[in-house]
Amino acid sequence: MKINLILQQLLNGISLGGVYALMAVGFGLIFNVLKFSNFSHGGVVAICAYFGYFISQHVYPNFIVTLILTAIVGGFIGVIIEKLIFRPIRLKGAPLTLFLVNSITAAMLVQQFFAVMWGDNYYPYPEFIKETAIHIGEFTVSKIYLLMLSISAFVLLILSYILRKTKIGIAIRAASSDIRTPSLMGINIDFVISTAFFFAGILGGVTGYLLGMAFTVDPFIGSMILKGIIAAIIGGMGSLGGGVVAGLLLGVAESLLIAEIGASLTPIVIYASIILLLLIRPEGISGKGYIVKA
Amino acid sequence: MFYLKVLEITSLYTILVLGVYLMTGLTGLFSLGQGGFVSIGAYTAAIAFMKLNLPFPVALMMAVVMGAVLGFLIGIPTLRLRRDYFLLVTFCLGEMVRAALLYLAQLTGGALGMAGMPRKVGLPLILISIVFITFILYSLKRSRFGRDCIAVRDDELAASMMGINVFAHKMKVFIISSAITAYGGALYAFNILFIEPNLFNWLESGRLIIITFVGGLNSIAGVIITSAIYYSFGEFFRFIDVWRDVLLALVVILVVIFRPGGLFQGLELLPQKLLSRTERK
Repeated sequence: MKINLILQQLLNGISLGGVYALMAVGFGLIFNVLKFSNFSHGGVVAICAYFGYFISQHVYPNFIVTLILTAIVGGFIGVIIEKLIFRPIRLKGAPLTLFLVNSITAAMLVQQFFAVMWGDNYYPYPEFIKETAIHIGEFTVSKIYLLMLSISAFVLLILSYILRKTKIGIAIRAASSDIRTPSLMGINIDFVISTAFFFAGILGGVTGYLLGMAFTVDPFIGSMILKGIIAAIIGGMGSLGGGVVAGLLLGVAESLLIAEIGASLTPIVIYASIILLLLIRPEGISGKGYIVKA
Repeated sequence: MFYLKVLEITSLYTILVLGVYLMTGLTGLFSLGQGGFVSIGAYTAAIAFMKLNLPFPVALMMAVVMGAVLGFLIGIPTLRLRRDYFLLVTFCLGEMVRAALLYLAQLTGGALGMAGMPRKVGLPLILISIVFITFILYSLKRSRFGRDCIAVRDDELAASMMGINVFAHKMKVFIISSAITAYGGALYAFNILFIEPNLFNWLESGRLIIITFVGGLNSIAGVIITSAIYYSFGEFFRFIDVWRDVLLALVVILVVIFRPGGLFQGLELLPQKLLSRTERK
């Protein structure tokens, strides 16, 4: 491969990886607090992709406004899912397997619903940018990819600020390390969990919007969450920073592999390397161990 | 004829559900890659029969062995880890099998699928298989091994403290379950006579788990009943067939919230139980 082709793919990979990182963090946020794999995050992503399409195509075609609106809607969808599906079984003290069943079911519900309602068509977002590429010397940089990268970075920075500095962020981190103790310290744990779902939902909303914008909207867009989950595994479950790094790595690896060995072999290589990684280093990149408490 | 066909399809899927039940019901493991095992079984049998010209029973055996070997290979790295990892790795496995089948187009026909298998599997063989598998499951569940497994399902840490080798138990169950699933796939290939890589994606695998939970983790009879209802439902109510999965999902969420033990709780339809109930009266 020529060197500028590699650089080109690297840049594309990083932009795509930014979106994977968003998904990995949205997924990891819930995993940290409630310790189960939240497949329903894919449902939030799918709903928001459709919502973003609808609002930007039919209501108000402004990029920034619709993005923010979609993100907020995503947050509330996250809260609704938590209140309707996860809270009842959490209050009953149900085992983790039931949380998993419910989250898979919710993902299935959303996907099938959209497949029945609007599955017969593809929905493209409006063209926000007229000229789609910037030329710098020999490089051609897609503006949409640049936009994706900068938005992902911005959202992740804000989230990291919230988690580090604000009171609710600290409460979420406290609940992540131990869910029982904070409630003894006078923290309203229900509220903290709802807020975690709200933040995860916002990330899901942004993800859905960006994915819908970069590709087209179809009912199976929620399956893209798979990439986010993979990034979360590589990064080490429970480590948000690891998830971001792994998301970027995954994006880069994917676009380089597709350029080198073709799109049909790439998934095989990626999945096989993940299984190998788990064999060698199950705790992921960050190496943050997870302790089973009795 | 139509009802026969419906019964055949329903029974085929019931075999797959039983494979999942063994794994999820006995050890609490979740696999979103069952579709991968189904495809492996179906393709192994079809290739062995069509390309290698092996006799049909040998092809079936090969499918079962392939499923078991694959289960063993996947089990080594994942069964020692938290259950989430197992779930996600099997998820990856399912997608990997799908991608691999598409990639190996010369052997598998790629996206066009494989057709032209002779119809070797009829209703009698499927029903006999179901009875046989149910018998195995039931005996396993009643044995010491099965009770150990249920202990592992309910509390892994406590079970390992009681001297149960958690990893070995999970591994055995996973291998048997993979073999059953691959067997179901092989039957599928020689009954439906057409297979393609996208036949069983992760949603199909998820559906199998969900049916197991609706039926009840402690009830083989409940699981069989639920799977029979679900898979024949679409054939009889064509007009709302597209909503079938949405309905199922809603039912599942309600069941999990209000009746966490499953629709049928611990019900088992056994000859001796039914008899003793009538005697008491």
